Amino acid sequence: MSRADAEGVAPVANTAGADPVIVGMEVLIEDVRFSYPSGVEAVKGVSLSIRPGERVAIVGQNGAGKTTLVRQLNGIFRPTSGRVQVGDWITSEHTIAELATRVGYVFQNPDEQLFARTVRADVEFGPRNLGLDSAQVARRAETAIEAVGLSGVADLHPHHLSLSERKRVALAGVVAMGTPVVVLDEPTTGQDAAGVDMIAQVVAALTDAGRTVIAITHDMEFCAEHFDRVIVMAGGQVLVDGHPRDVFVRDAELDAAAVEPPQLTRLARALGWDDQPLSAEEFVGAFARRGAHS
Amino acid sequence: MTSTLYLDRRSPVHRLNPVTKLVAMLTIVVIVFAVPLWWVAGLIVVGVVVPAAVVAHCGGRLLSLSLKLLLPIIVVLVLVQGLTFPGGKTVLAEWGVLALTTEGLLFALGIGSRIVCLVLTSVLFVLTTHPGDLMGALTERGMSPKFSYIISSTLQLIPAFRDRADGILLAQQARGLAVKGSPLARVKVMMPLLGPLVLGMFTDVEERSTAMEARGFGSAARRTALIPVPDSTAQRVSRWLMLVLAVAAIVVPIVFGVL
Amino acid sequence: MISLTDVSYAYPDAEALTLEHVDLEVERGSIAGIVGASGAGKTTLAKIIAGFIPHADGGELSGTVRVDGRDLSTGSLVDAVSVVGLVIQNPFNQISGAKYTVREEIAFGLENFGTPRDEMQRRVDEVAALLRIEHLLDRSPYALSGGQQQLVAIASMIVLRTPVIVMDEPTAQLDPAGTRMVFDVLSALRETGITIVIFEHKLELLQQHADRLHVVADRSIVLSGAPDDVLADDRLAQWAVGTTRYVTAGRLARERGLLPPEVPLPVSFEQAERVFDRERSVR
Repeated sequence: MSRADAEGVAPVANTAGADPVIVGMEVLIEDVRFSYPSGVEAVKGVSLSIRPGERVAIVGQNGAGKTTLVRQLNGIFRPTSGRVQVGDWITSEHTIAELATRVGYVFQNPDEQLFARTVRADVEFGPRNLGLDSAQVARRAETAIEAVGLSGVADLHPHHLSLSERKRVALAGVVAMGTPVVVLDEPTTGQDAAGVDMIAQVVAALTDAGRTVIAITHDMEFCAEHFDRVIVMAGGQVLVDGHPRDVFVRDAELDAAAVEPPQLTRLARALGWDDQPLSAEEFVGAFARRGAHS
Repeated sequence: MTSTLYLDRRSPVHRLNPVTKLVAMLTIVVIVFAVPLWWVAGLIVVGVVVPAAVVAHCGGRLLSLSLKLLLPIIVVLVLVQGLTFPGGKTVLAEWGVLALTTEGLLFALGIGSRIVCLVLTSVLFVLTTHPGDLMGALTERGMSPKFSYIISSTLQLIPAFRDRADGILLAQQARGLAVKGSPLARVKVMMPLLGPLVLGMFTDVEERSTAMEARGFGSAARRTALIPVPDSTAQRVSRWLMLVLAVAAIVVPIVFGVL
Repeated sequence: MISLTDVSYAYPDAEALTLEHVDLEVERGSIAGIVGASGAGKTTLAKIIAGFIPHADGGELSGTVRVDGRDLSTGSLVDAVSVVGLVIQNPFNQISGAKYTVREEIAFGLENFGTPRDEMQRRVDEVAALLRIEHLLDRSPYALSGGQQQLVAIASMIVLRTPVIVMDEPTAQLDPAGTRMVFDVLSALRETGITIVIFEHKLELLQQHADRLHVVADRSIVLSGAPDDVLADDRLAQWAVGTTRYVTAGRLARERGLLPPEVPLPVSFEQAERVFDRERSVR
């Protein structure tokens, strides 16, 4: 991805002049608990610290509390106890709209998010809310739409696109806001191979520019190949948190969370290798080393 | 999600066949309109509706809902009819052109008591009858399944629609849309969201119709029901009796000119 | 069981064909996996197999579509749906909206076909146990998560026991455990003679469960074959279809001269275990 692309998707909100310098922001989650009005406690004491520019994948079964946890970051939910801090802001002291300048959130179901008459207008909605001038809004939207591979359909109504395309429109709409933190809820579901690649490139461009990406995913290959930190959740708690290489060997915790390691990691273990290859590249590298040694 | 006003309680009233309750409600409607005596409506309220509400454990909810519906109507009725009734002779109090008259108040009582009776009866019906059960019972009696589907699905889809509107609003707030507290401001913010919401619902309706057809909705077979609708001879007999009562309420005053 | 011969289709008022010269054969009691880039025409193909095209959507359909020996384009949609069940993508839109519990929701189709009550009860319980959703039976279908709604949508269709079931990405909202369970259920249904056509992106599971794979690209079916042959095909990338990581690793090892070209590319876990182990022992 070129520098220009990264710049287009990266800047943080600013109303004055040219697109400003990128600022990363730390996310702190301190002993957060959350109960729904029904009384069900979905998050049971989670503490995390996420540095600027990290690529964090949150994995676990449906109902493990993943979505409930990330929704604390932009104020859709407020902790029942504990606190969440984004940069110098404590989320409970800010509105969802204010937090939207710091945390972008891509919903799992794009139909809950898209509403404008054209793809372009929808993507421009977020940046416009930040008070950017129309030239900046247009530039950001253009770059974001290009990044998700939808330039050809920018002037169509989102309802004329397929579900996988609509998901990428929703992603572009949040990327264009230039928030320091971007949360993605199941970004790869329903995507074909090309779609997954495109989303992976967007994630890389965001974090290269110093922005934090936090993604909920069931797609372990996507997780292993494109993230440098994996958080395994079950029953509203964090079971393991670390580099994919260290996480995907924790059999007991993975079992408890019903998470299966990625294909090649499983294969390497079955072969008795002690490396933890996360991609085809690493796997073949490990294979080559073994060939040379024996 | 509560999609209707239905209160899930175990009571003999809840267990009645929905058609029995429907017939009872319609009989009351007919009687109250055919017999323009305020005390008949009053008697039905005291003698039928209130005991039924007590048995059904729905008294509190019935009272609060009905008050919300009735209070404005009663106030307007008393003010307008009591003060400006054209045939008013017995003046109780007077302010310029406005005069509170006994005739006016009596007229308001006549209309008001019937409205109170009708509102209480229909609210109690809605509180104790699950719309799904009602539709099932009516389909069993030969009502078109398509008609029954339209009614029940509309009842369920309204809250689904509201949830979706809330969801979209939330998603836009997450993209920096500021929503201020006042209801007027909220409506203003919602306006641009409505078009796409409706459009989205249309696409949904199309997809849903595909899904329903795939499950045999167009089938000409005689429908069966998973959950049987309870009925009894006593209920069947009482439905016929109520019918007779309703007819009598219409015929008797005309033929005998009693009223 | 399913036989499409030279099928072409254009939506009403569309200038271009959505599908062109499609040939597809699916044997009775088998699972056919259909893969392809999004926008390649998969949903249209699903609707053709299920008879919704041309009965519901109209448009220009040419060629023949035979399912269970019948020409679906003759007869009515009701005839078609009593042979082919269709599970669409969005689970939310498969909830009838007329039922207040999952139990009644699953029975909705059976009621439409006039199934006797005791048989309905038995079949609903059976299918709920199969998909492990007994605990949801008394809940409102609207009070469920997307994944749970997806399971209810699948249950609502397989309870009808149509000889053919077409599923358009039925596991998109499920977690890996849920997905695996659905595939296991489909395999069990196949054993009872039911024919299944499944549109999916989850290739490792298709490799394990499908009897044949068909690739949709350029408005047609461009490749059909055993999963192992299809997933090892060099042209998949050009059709924007992925493959398993075992194939990717095998190909990379081959390019670097670490695997001799005569060794077939490993498609599954077991094959990869053999290929990469044997290579080590050879050295």
